[in-house]
Amino acid sequence: MKKTLAMLVTLCLLLSLFAPVALAEGDVTITFAFWDTNQEPGMKAIAEAYMAKNPNVKVETQVTPWNEYWTKLEAAAQGGALPDVFWMHSNQFYKYVTAGMLLDLTDLNLDYSPYPAGITALYNYEGSQWAVPKDYDTIALAYNKELFDKAGIAYPDDTWTWDTLRETAKKLNDVENGVYGFAAPNDTQSGYYNFVYQNGGKIFENGESGFNLPETQEAIKTWMNFMLEDGISPSLESFTDMSQDDQFQAGKVAMEFIGSWMMSAFTSNEFIKDKFDLCVLPQGKTRASIYNGLGYAGAYNTANPDVVKDFIAFCGSEEANILQAQNKAAIPAYKGTEHYFTDLFTNINIACYTEMIEYGVQFPFSPNKSLWEGTETELMTSAYTGELTVEEACNQLHEAIMEIEAE
Amino acid sequence: MSAQAINSDLRRKKPFRFQSDWGWAYLLIAPTIIGLIILNLYPFVETIILSTQKSQGLGAAKFVGLQNYEKLFADKQIWQSTWNTLYYMILTVPVGVFLALVLAVLLNSKIRGRDVYRGIYFMPMVVAPAAVAMVWKWIFNAEVGILNQFLGLFGVATINWLSDPNTAIISCAMIGIWSAVGYDLVLILAGLQSISTSYYEASEIDGASAVQRFFHITVPLISPTLFFVVIMRVMTSIKQFDTVYLLIKSTNPAYKKTITLMVMFYREAFEKFNKGYASAIVMWSFVIIMVITAIQFWSEKKLVHYE
Repeated sequence: MKKTLAMLVTLCLLLSLFAPVALAEGDVTITFAFWDTNQEPGMKAIAEAYMAKNPNVKVETQVTPWNEYWTKLEAAAQGGALPDVFWMHSNQFYKYVTAGMLLDLTDLNLDYSPYPAGITALYNYEGSQWAVPKDYDTIALAYNKELFDKAGIAYPDDTWTWDTLRETAKKLNDVENGVYGFAAPNDTQSGYYNFVYQNGGKIFENGESGFNLPETQEAIKTWMNFMLEDGISPSLESFTDMSQDDQFQAGKVAMEFIGSWMMSAFTSNEFIKDKFDLCVLPQGKTRASIYNGLGYAGAYNTANPDVVKDFIAFCGSEEANILQAQNKAAIPAYKGTEHYFTDLFTNINIACYTEMIEYGVQFPFSPNKSLWEGTETELMTSAYTGELTVEEACNQLHEAIMEIEAE
Repeated sequence: MSAQAINSDLRRKKPFRFQSDWGWAYLLIAPTIIGLIILNLYPFVETIILSTQKSQGLGAAKFVGLQNYEKLFADKQIWQSTWNTLYYMILTVPVGVFLALVLAVLLNSKIRGRDVYRGIYFMPMVVAPAAVAMVWKWIFNAEVGILNQFLGLFGVATINWLSDPNTAIISCAMIGIWSAVGYDLVLILAGLQSISTSYYEASEIDGASAVQRFFHITVPLISPTLFFVVIMRVMTSIKQFDTVYLLIKSTNPAYKKTITLMVMFYREAFEKFNKGYASAIVMWSFVIIMVITAIQFWSEKKLVHYE
């Protein structure tokens, strides 16, 4: 009796092992990984629209925060267990494509003319296309209207230069009440990279680091001096307790550089949504705003390459771009669908983001950027704390980058 | 003795033969042994191999000999991180164990609501470390944190608990002590309760004071438990990772003066994707742990009293 029971239990356990396989017969499940929780509704909408059209396919979405995303993806790549479809970023693209981790999408024969050429080119390597453009983002100047009104100062406009920014920030500075004119944190994309390109400097181009150039160093110095000399930015200590975006949303800084991807968060924050507006970035020697675009990539070893390709093609379609725009995810890459995104923001000058693409500069990337990014942050922190001068930090970084890239 | 006799003598010795009941023994210890080999021994060997390789990104690793170790000993940050780790240990172990001992003695006496206190002290132990770190992050917040607000009542100037290079590691140590005291307390309490009351009764008749009883009866008899608690505490403090990792980012001005060896290892391996160098860091902390453990076992013979 006991034995029969034991046999039965074992049998049940064994059968349950095969259950998921048995159910999946005829159906295909693909995983879709990305890092931005703000964009989850948009991505889910795309997945659902695709599943409605292809009832035999199940798309599972997985959100992982930015830092953990790349740690997890690398481990998955080495273990041969990549998600079927995932977001790709310019910082990491080279690493994955040169290691042969991505699915070649060239034979999709997609029409790439509706996408910004720079972003299509970003994910093109050795004549093949490895990711389909998803969106693009640029950086704008956000300002707190209430603080400007209180000080009786005119709002920023497109005539602004670095000097106007500094002088106005000085006037807005009210340290006793915990209000600073501007935020100048240790940040690249929504930070000093914009200044570097506005000053004719470079971060990385044609296999060369630009951190040894005087233009680059001068721009970074100007950026840091907003905090260190002029005292118009909260301190580095202050930013560790509260990020620049949180400080701006709490009304503690009057102006900051902000990426378009933050707009859905800002406009749903009760405290700030009616108090802020946007303007194009102030100019240095020239105009520049860092732009970047993400792409949809597939895993080289996916079990269902045809389904994956079909899904990626759908993600790149006009329909999917409209869906991600309508869900406030990001500025869609597909030309002519931007207004679905910008129309959602009625009381801010959201158009400045799409305007700046004209003189936008691609967010610098290099084959091994993911290997030196961490060093960059650490060295810049040392420059902020005064442990190194800006020149020393930049020169050390230049050496480090060239050493890593040489291999 | 004839050759035949020797032969029969040899034959009488039991030859090695697999005995049927050994199979069960091997089978029963197999899960543990296999687990140890797969989860501990194999990665340990792999780490040693990896520490002699250059492995960046997704490409294949290549052998570079002792290059990672050369880099390690020339790296100023490794010495700073080693000191940070030891400093964290010095800050947490003595204070933490002492606090746990005092509280355990107090909770061993008959006071009202003793079980409630025991529950309260043990509470931090059941909370996930990440949750603990997030709560303390707000307590330590320089501008809106409750700690500065409270100290402000007494006219204490704002302290940047988590971003001042001199205080950040102390703040992390405070969290470490707070989280561990309850657990240590329970272990010590168990030790205290196993001491026979007859010792105390006898010493009382001989006229020993409470302090004398504490140092001449309680401390020697509790020393095996204390030794165990200290070893555990030293180990966990050398391996300190979660609190520091969650609270100290690389944009923090206190970053260099706070990160422990384990945090430095994690950032090298999984954020800078430099696995070879990261493995060398791990080997270095392995050496440190071995040295400290050797010291501890040597001191066990001198300081610990076994009944």
